[in-house]
Amino acid sequence: MAYQASKDPSKEIRERLYLPELIKGVSVSAKQFFRNLFGTRDTNLEVLDRKGLSKVATVQYPEEKVIYPPGYRGLHRLVPRDDGKPRCVACYMCATICPAQCIYIEAGEFEADAGPEASRVIEKFPTRFVIDELRCIVCGLCVEACPKDAIRMDTGVHTPSEYTRADFVYDIPKLLKGPPVSHPSDPWNRREDSHQPHHQPKEAHARIGDGLVGLKLPQPEHEKAALPAGAAAAPKTPPAQVHRFEK
Amino acid sequence: MSRILFVLFAFGLILGAFFGVTAGGYVLGALADAHWFQGAHRLVMVLILLLVFVMVIATLLTAAERKWSALMQNRIGPNRAKIFGSPLAGLGHTIADVVKMLTKEDFIPSAANKGLFILAPMLAFGSAFALFAVVPAGPSIELMGNTIDMVAATPDFGVLYVFAIASIAVYGTALAGWSSNNKFGLLGGVRASAQMVSYEVSLGMSLVGMMMIFSTVQLPVMVGETFGQGQFQYIWGNDAAMGTGTGFDFGLPAWGIFMQPLGFILFFVASLAETKRAPFDVPEGESEIIGYFVEYSGMKFGLFMISEFVEIVVLSGLLVVLFLGGYHLPFGEVWLRSLPVMQEHTWLFGALLGTVFWVKVLALILVQLLIRWSAIRFRYDQLQSLGWKTMLPLALGNVFVTGALVLWDPSLRWLTVVGLVFLFALLVLTITHAPSDEEDEAHDEGHGHHDHGHTSPSLHGGSAHALPSAHGADDTLEAAARTAASISH
Repeated sequence: MAYQASKDPSKEIRERLYLPELIKGVSVSAKQFFRNLFGTRDTNLEVLDRKGLSKVATVQYPEEKVIYPPGYRGLHRLVPRDDGKPRCVACYMCATICPAQCIYIEAGEFEADAGPEASRVIEKFPTRFVIDELRCIVCGLCVEACPKDAIRMDTGVHTPSEYTRADFVYDIPKLLKGPPVSHPSDPWNRREDSHQPHHQPKEAHARIGDGLVGLKLPQPEHEKAALPAGAAAAPKTPPAQVHRFEK
Repeated sequence: MSRILFVLFAFGLILGAFFGVTAGGYVLGALADAHWFQGAHRLVMVLILLLVFVMVIATLLTAAERKWSALMQNRIGPNRAKIFGSPLAGLGHTIADVVKMLTKEDFIPSAANKGLFILAPMLAFGSAFALFAVVPAGPSIELMGNTIDMVAATPDFGVLYVFAIASIAVYGTALAGWSSNNKFGLLGGVRASAQMVSYEVSLGMSLVGMMMIFSTVQLPVMVGETFGQGQFQYIWGNDAAMGTGTGFDFGLPAWGIFMQPLGFILFFVASLAETKRAPFDVPEGESEIIGYFVEYSGMKFGLFMISEFVEIVVLSGLLVVLFLGGYHLPFGEVWLRSLPVMQEHTWLFGALLGTVFWVKVLALILVQLLIRWSAIRFRYDQLQSLGWKTMLPLALGNVFVTGALVLWDPSLRWLTVVGLVFLFALLVLTITHAPSDEEDEAHDEGHGHHDHGHTSPSLHGGSAHALPSAHGADDTLEAAARTAASISH
């Protein structure tokens, strides 16, 4: 006696007949079909928030890009000062901590009698600052290690594809980008005396490519006012919250 | 909004293409008859129906299946192969597929039986393709002094031709599995041929009811060429529909699905199993089970693939012809036929009804794809027990019940009542969710609802002289009723 493979416990007539349940299933498919046929696809990048008749959940990748979550460790950048030079002081902290040893720095030194335009207030600056993005394991330790807030991974984009390996070796002109950042503690911001006005800190939460990737950060109202223009232009979409999974 | 307009425009384009090609077929057929020889329009119909309609629809179905299944699954579907910067609803992928298959290496395994290996795809494709020859896709019209039939062939053995040719497809699959000298291919071929042989039995039995009702096996007669013949009549309807008055005819047409809903379902399921597609895709699950054409590459594989799509079109056409009234409108056709403009331009009338036929076919193709993407695959033992233990007894029972009802009431009204009750019960079962003790009530309701049909005037009682074109409609009607009664005796 062969093994009785069909042990259907259901005594419900609709399921035993199979046909009513099949028609129900087909009608579900048909509903989806006609909804998506006649509905215009909502291109909202938050797929779960899409509205409208069409339920198509596709994000057409090269043309539309999914929003990376806040805190996403993207491509490195060297943070510029207000005058456009890198904030880096060539302390080798990042190169030392890097587990993949992908950072190479050559330091230069300001002459003692250099003019004020040369930012004489700091001693060293990088003449070469090279990151091999193919070696990088995107651990973010360099960002943690930097004492000067000179390297960040807040660009919100991943490493773009290239045709040669040499193109993945990023030097200062490729790395130095994004909104400038200045802190009150920076030596070039230090006041001579207390009669001078307070330095207005330009803490840039804005990411490179704002509007392109539309990184969303939870921003309290009182902080928003202090942000530079680039940050204010960031998309006004609400911050990603956990409650959207409750639907 | 623009999307809706675009979709409606595409619908219009498809309808226009159906209308245009059908009209062109009629005119070309008439020209061939007039200038070549009597009956040359059949050759034109071979070209128009088989090569233009079936092949083009089957080819476009390869794109449509991917696009439609994407829409059913909330995706977009193929849109990356672009022609002049426009994805053109996935048509670029079809062209890319065709180019790929034609240019790929056509590999024949060294241990294969070469003759049978080459013969198998021809059998699989040819049998599916030749099925459509007997399907009438439009009315016969008088044009340029000749009668132009929109059908490639009208053999006396109509439906039997369908069964005979459909069973040849088994050889294609069995030979493909065996001749490629591959163990998995052989297993797939065995699975496929066992399945097809099992379902051919129910495929044949499910149509016996239709043959008894119309007492013919010829498909054009089953569809009905003149009013009162085949499915071109009304079970109940107003005066115009019953042939006693003029004006717009409206009523319940004598379509197979109303008289033989069980036969319709059985034939549909059996034909789905014949096409070897989901939920009956045990012979070759696209992604999981190696099928009988493992060893095939290039256009030989392409023939197997396109034969599946041809089978979809052909079986939709057969279902429309047998159960959905063929090229006939559900109402108003007698009125339409009597319009002066239709009398004058017969090609216009023919093309209109041909469009109706192809729209029905397209709707059934959509239903087949919906079933494919809704139902899960049957296990192999479920598949065989469904075929032998469920469908065959049901088909036999359907034959007996239909025979008894046709014998009892040759006007087909009680048969229709039973059929409508069946459909109503199915509808009630589908739209309700409550436990099963409602089914009896549904039956009672159905009986009570349709009882009034019993007292209506009988079908062949009235005179049919109101119709200008229905010469001899009364006689054929009487003859059909007599033969329907006699076949039951």
